[in-house]
Amino acid sequence: MQANRAEATPVIGRSAPAPSDTKGKHRISAEVKRLEQESRSLEEELQQLEKTEKLSAGLQEFLLKVESIPDPLLPETTGPANTSWDRWFEGPQDTQGCRCWIL
Amino acid sequence: MSVAELKERHIAATATVNSLRERLKQRRQLLLDTDVAAFAKSQGRSAISFSSTDLICCRTLQGHTGKVYSLDWTPERNRIVSASQDGRLIVWNALTSQKTHAIKLQCPWVMTCAFAPNGQSVACGGLDSACSIFNLNSQVDRDGNIPVSRILTGHKGYVYSCQYVPDQETRLITSSGDQTCVLWDVTTGQRISVFGGEFPSGHTADVLSVSINSSNSNMFVSGSCDMTARLWDTRIASRAVGTYHGHQGDVNTVKFFPDGQRFGTGSDDSTCRLYDMRTGHQLQVYSQQHEGDDNDVPIVTSIAFSISGRLLFAGYSSGDCYVWDTLMAEVVLNLGTSQNSHEARISCLGLSSDGSALCTGSWDKNLKIWAFGGHRKVI
Repeated sequence: MQANRAEATPVIGRSAPAPSDTKGKHRISAEVKRLEQESRSLEEELQQLEKTEKLSAGLQEFLLKVESIPDPLLPETTGPANTSWDRWFEGPQDTQGCRCWIL
Repeated sequence: MSVAELKERHIAATATVNSLRERLKQRRQLLLDTDVAAFAKSQGRSAISFSSTDLICCRTLQGHTGKVYSLDWTPERNRIVSASQDGRLIVWNALTSQKTHAIKLQCPWVMTCAFAPNGQSVACGGLDSACSIFNLNSQVDRDGNIPVSRILTGHKGYVYSCQYVPDQETRLITSSGDQTCVLWDVTTGQRISVFGGEFPSGHTADVLSVSINSSNSNMFVSGSCDMTARLWDTRIASRAVGTYHGHQGDVNTVKFFPDGQRFGTGSDDSTCRLYDMRTGHQLQVYSQQHEGDDNDVPIVTSIAFSISGRLLFAGYSSGDCYVWDTLMAEVVLNLGTSQNSHEARISCLGLSSDGSALCTGSWDKNLKIWAFGGHRKVI
């Protein structure tokens, strides 16, 4: 009986994998693919970075551009101003407005 | 391949990715030879100086009976749609303070709303994982409600943010807790493209906000709980154009800079950042020392740029609304301590299309309109 039982015992590695093992394998495989794809993206990014200029390079143009645009919320701004900017202070200002409650 | 061999490959691939990320970080650091504020100071610029009566609250829009979560202006200047915990959207004429529409939602757990470019429709989304579209010209039903005209279904998680593609009434982008952004055709209800999800360069956590580039509406940026912002080209759904690191917490809000070449972010780490879209450089960090202990650091809930980009408005969970001088990285005003300020967290904010007014929405159930009421010097 003992011999029979020994023969009946499956040898590890040769038996059909349990369903949970297969799921785990698929999951790890998908994760590996994702990581390898990310590696390729990161390498491309590194190559791109070799051709990228320093941060300071575009800042002069940036400053001038921001300062050239008329801005109604600034105390001092380049023109032209627009009279409609001040519409918020014209006419009857019902600062507490329509107070009907939607129920 | 056996599981053991796969596991080894996984370990090796992880090590490769980590090493590449580190190399990228170091290489980029070498290119960051300055920041915007240091450069501006070196060029002799000084911070904007506001007097206390310059930016004032000129309207308080009352009507919601719950926290305000989201707001959006129309392109045609004066109307706003807001979404609230009370399960309603309200459409306001901000100039007159009148409510023109009140829409009772089927799902009250709304998190985001948006106005269509032509101002005739509004969209909203939330914990129902869908985006609902309402035509404001629709005939109301028996209960006086505007019926929903389309429901965009397909997300497998909450809809945190939505925005119509500028000048395209029929297209809308949503961001979701299912880690994806989706471009929709509103007329058919179909998904045109899905950004992220099973593709490796997508976000790896909830996507909390989107901002579409008004200079080039093929490009949009998204912010996520994975602490990154990502840039997408709507014509290429298979991979993000760029990933922007730096934040140490959820990126709650993203907004394109007016010139369309940069964008700002706001985060749970209490900072705002400005990134260059093309180079990927982090141009500036906007960070303020906060009073109180470390456990109480306020998070940035929402941001908006003034029309020139000189001012960055940032709403915080503390109720503060800092006005940052974008070029000098200094706080030049705090609307949270102004007269007539909100009494609770500021959850959303946005500029009118002509830049003349800022609207803030708050957990105190109100919206407020802020405009420049001081003496303006035009050069």
